Amino acid sequence: MSASTTPPVRIAVDIGGTFTDLQIYDERTRSLVSLKTPTTPEDPSLGLLTGIKEAAAKGGFTLADVGYLLHGTTIATNAVLERKLARGALVTTARFEDVAEIGRHYRREVYALNPKAPPSLIPRDRRLGIKERTRSDGSIDIPVMAEALDALVAKLDALDVQAVAVCLINAYRNAENEQRIGEHLAKVRPRLAVSCSSALNGEIREFERTSTTILNALLMPVIDSYLGKLDRRMKEEGLKPHLFLVQSNGGVCSPEKAGQEPVRLLLSGPSGGSAACALLGKLLNEPNLVGVDMGGTSFDVSVVRDGKVNLVTQGEIDGLPVRLPMVEINTIGAGGGSIAKVRAGGRLTVGPESAGSRPGPACYGRGGTEPAVTDANIALARLDGEGFLGGGMRLDRDAATKAIATHVGGPLKLGVEAAAEGILAVTNASLGAAIRLSLFEKGLDPRDFVMVAFGGAAGLHAVAVADEVGIRRVVFPESASTLSAFGILHSNLTHDLVRSQLLQATSADLPQLAEMAKSLLAEGKARLDTDAVRPEDQVIELAADMRYKGQAFELTVTAPPPAKGKPPFDQTTLDALIEGFHALHEQRFSYANRGSPVEIVTLRASAIGKLAQPEPKTLQRFTQAPQPKTSRKIFLAGAWTDVPVWNRDDLGATPIIGPAVVEEAYTTVLLEAGWTCHRLATGHLIAERTA
Amino acid sequence: MTTATTADISSIELEIIYNALTAAAAEMDVTVWRTSRSTIVRELLDYSTAVFDRNGWNVAQAARIPSHLNSMTFFLTEILAKYIPADQWKPGDIVISNDPYCGGQHLPDIVAFMAVFHEGRRVGFVGTLCHHLDVGGISAGSYGSSATEIFQEGLRIPPVKIFEEGKLIEPIRAIILQNVRQPDILWGDLQSQFASLNVGAVSIQRQAKKLGAARFERALTQILDTSEAGMRAIISRIPDGTYEFADKIDDDGITDAPIEIKAKVIVAGDEITVDLNGCSRQNLGPSNATLASTCSGVFYALMATADAPVASNSGCYRPVKVIAPEGTCVNATAPAPVVHRIAISHRLATVLFGALHKAIPDRMPAAYYAVSYVVAFQTIDAQKRRKVLVEIEIGGCGALSYSDGTSAHSFGMHNNANIPIEMIESDMPLTFLGYGLLPDSGGAGRHRGGLGLWREWRIECEEAEVSTNLDRFKFPPFGLDGGKPGSLSTFSIVRDGKKQAFGSKVTNMRVRKGDVIRLETSGGGGFGDPRGRGRDALERDLQMGYVSPDTAKAVYGL
Repeated sequence: MSASTTPPVRIAVDIGGTFTDLQIYDERTRSLVSLKTPTTPEDPSLGLLTGIKEAAAKGGFTLADVGYLLHGTTIATNAVLERKLARGALVTTARFEDVAEIGRHYRREVYALNPKAPPSLIPRDRRLGIKERTRSDGSIDIPVMAEALDALVAKLDALDVQAVAVCLINAYRNAENEQRIGEHLAKVRPRLAVSCSSALNGEIREFERTSTTILNALLMPVIDSYLGKLDRRMKEEGLKPHLFLVQSNGGVCSPEKAGQEPVRLLLSGPSGGSAACALLGKLLNEPNLVGVDMGGTSFDVSVVRDGKVNLVTQGEIDGLPVRLPMVEINTIGAGGGSIAKVRAGGRLTVGPESAGSRPGPACYGRGGTEPAVTDANIALARLDGEGFLGGGMRLDRDAATKAIATHVGGPLKLGVEAAAEGILAVTNASLGAAIRLSLFEKGLDPRDFVMVAFGGAAGLHAVAVADEVGIRRVVFPESASTLSAFGILHSNLTHDLVRSQLLQATSADLPQLAEMAKSLLAEGKARLDTDAVRPEDQVIELAADMRYKGQAFELTVTAPPPAKGKPPFDQTTLDALIEGFHALHEQRFSYANRGSPVEIVTLRASAIGKLAQPEPKTLQRFTQAPQPKTSRKIFLAGAWTDVPVWNRDDLGATPIIGPAVVEEAYTTVLLEAGWTCHRLATGHLIAERTA
Repeated sequence: MTTATTADISSIELEIIYNALTAAAAEMDVTVWRTSRSTIVRELLDYSTAVFDRNGWNVAQAARIPSHLNSMTFFLTEILAKYIPADQWKPGDIVISNDPYCGGQHLPDIVAFMAVFHEGRRVGFVGTLCHHLDVGGISAGSYGSSATEIFQEGLRIPPVKIFEEGKLIEPIRAIILQNVRQPDILWGDLQSQFASLNVGAVSIQRQAKKLGAARFERALTQILDTSEAGMRAIISRIPDGTYEFADKIDDDGITDAPIEIKAKVIVAGDEITVDLNGCSRQNLGPSNATLASTCSGVFYALMATADAPVASNSGCYRPVKVIAPEGTCVNATAPAPVVHRIAISHRLATVLFGALHKAIPDRMPAAYYAVSYVVAFQTIDAQKRRKVLVEIEIGGCGALSYSDGTSAHSFGMHNNANIPIEMIESDMPLTFLGYGLLPDSGGAGRHRGGLGLWREWRIECEEAEVSTNLDRFKFPPFGLDGGKPGSLSTFSIVRDGKKQAFGSKVTNMRVRKGDVIRLETSGGGGFGDPRGRGRDALERDLQMGYVSPDTAKAVYGL
């Protein structure tokens, strides 16, 4: 996809529940435009097209000028959470139909008398066993017979389903029986969406594989229908871009791939935010960042390490495991709407219950009476009741004060200020604990990290939380409200390929490893060629999932790129992987067993097609105002203090000194004493600890 | 930083410190999960991590196994009182033990403790308990059900330092590994325990540094006081009175006599007394609980009864008095065998729910399966390689006044996952013939008990042996308020096409290639009259095959 043949405008879009965010880059003018438009939930492609047309008018380009459309979306996530999924069936090895319902059968709430199992997305009457069996060594004990296939089709017809998930015992070792079923259904019922576990997620552990495959199958018709609508609308409007969808791993993929494996889109939205953090890291020359996204109900933590967004090989949605590479996002239920309560024995807790936006915090004046985190911020005047949402909404400070006095101050015998400060202290401590746990799992020290704070509620808490965990630098990015789209705009094409086979990390198994590596590289190259990526823009990275013999969980170790003229995987590669594994194990778990046998479970390849990167834009107006716009009394560290209030747009390269408040349309930054803050030419605010 | 002060710490700061301690326990938990080696730890998740104050009282817990979490205080305080006084613990020391008669439960549970120091002062302890795959003894998995003395059950490790100031005491390690069936796996799991202690200690030290040692210790004391106050408030909302309930365990594996578990719960103001004088004498076979096991059952049941959130720790124990006479099955004395102690504490928990139902009828569940279904295998392949597998299965949860019981879900004293079938098949000469829910196993009721499950293994090697510690073969999980009991459990073997049923306890049964072993677990008890069950709910039960048409007609009156 050379620049000469591709039209010059690149659009990144992130369709969220409420807003569709766009960022548009025009190669000709090197201009970057961002805008927001309401999401149209009944058909999100409608809102998207509205946004693009708006952008074209604003940016002075025609729809035919759009060369790339990079598309992030929460459509898949919302379809799962709201159960707007296809009606589907599950095909399993006979007598294993209930594996999907039994799950791993442990409970999350240890002391609950009414523990709930994760939901069964395909109920028992639509789980069909078929006579077949693959042994654990991959040999076929019972093949799939023609009569069994006929009987299966008859049952599927009777159930009137749109989607079928196929997950057979030991299919991770040999896909043959699943393929037989998949091919037969494709032939006789071509309109059925069929997903086979071995093609999607060929890894050991039957429940996790089944769960991933079910989610995929049930999403296929949903995403297919959306992509169909989008395609029609784009054609009608004369829009013919290369369309790519953002996956949970931060890379983008073709619509064909997204239609086949829509479960890869589950973290499509948030992964854009993480990508943006990585990008900011590059601009600021900071390799290690922790991204914190705080909105109304949740606080999401992601980690960029050595310039790369941290990925995990398994996540979950609604308690259901999804075993595919995804951006690692740890979420806790703490946001502006989280409710503060005094519990038995006088414990003050905040969240996870949230007031949401209806009724919302007490200060919204929509009938909420329990105090939320936003109420505490408004009671202490850290938030301006008049200027909320760019002045679009007035916050009722009296209602906030009353809620805090009634529900927290009274029971704890504290004044309103002390009670509100208490709510914020408990909140900030749990935000800090979430960051620590995110970094801890990788054996990392928060003090080596820079924080990137975004989302409507992050600005008021970021600096305090940074203090809590020992972080000394916080970035408040420009265009934070469309940050995901900003990240998406800078994405590359990424294909994640895996080969799973349990091998020993020894010379004896080297030939097999080398063979697997070779085939992965060939497949990666073929995929990128299909995407029309020029050879010089292709990068294929190899990594191995490794563990000590006997362990069940692996650490992913990146292989060094092969030296020139050397084979892609040789003894040197293996030695480097083994040493890399010991070092990583020691870092993450405090010990290594050098000399103990190491196994390689999965070999991975990331085939990356690099897209030309937009250059960072600089602000048109970048002069520092001599004065803050105003000042107000806010309650800080136990006392009412007169504090300068700055407009974000009035800041420049000269640091202002905390305590101070920096306001912009959709968020407010609180700079505490001991911190300074300045603005870069690229618009990003940088807060730094001075003492 | 902050200097020591005797002033009370605000409830706000306390909450912050408590959350940090819970996060420390969670960090320890992740370390064990990610690095352990045996299927029983890394897949079945039979382990727990916790944080203690400087005197050995539990302050914060990771979300794992109630049975472990609420007995570790007994273990640590006993070690400090009788074996290794607190002033003999140095930085870098790690003490291990599995002795049931030192505040433990049964021999496979090896617990490791480490003291945490700040500026030379002991400010707390961290502890990790893992159920190990095998610690020797009469049967693989150390799960013989015919032992009559603890000496037959495996290696008994008194409290002993396995690390002194960070240095491994090699002879201790050698003695342990010489006495167990799969030493590499056991050592791998122990290493994960040690790693988790180091991780937890660093996390605790960070808090101590932030607060100063004295203030940190004061905070821990106050956290316990707060939990006590919370628990007292919870108890005071239960009507005063004396409430009795009883249930029976099949037998002890040696004789056929049922074991009576009978509790008298006396609620008086903000205190509860649980009088277990009505329980059977201590048994010849291993269905015996130490006092620590029994108390963990009582504490779990009362903490689960809470109608308001309370920080789960040893402060909750204070308003609770347990009367368990020595020499009964709820306070066994050495050298009684104890490996199946969990049957006692499980049953005790469900009996306490039954008793409390008389006081707070809308809140308590009908009986759950209330036993850990243990099936232990040792396979010996053609090359004479031996491998051990300990499976622990579960059944259905009891129905409540407001909800059906959850099917096939860990409840009560334990909280274990299953081991993936593919994981077992890839490692051992065993093939699974099926795993599923058992229709009609849930006790009928206005709200139905959760379904039990079945699991079938086929032996693929010439030689193997099987031992079980099961129950509910004679006395099904009870229903409440007119709800029917759940199903009975069964264990059988099909050899050459002929099925033979066995009792609930089997020791070292020799099985051979082609034998099919089948376990069926109990469903939970029902709640309320089955004829009052909503027709929609019943239709759905039929559609899903949770209830058969015959049962719908005969029991539900459809």
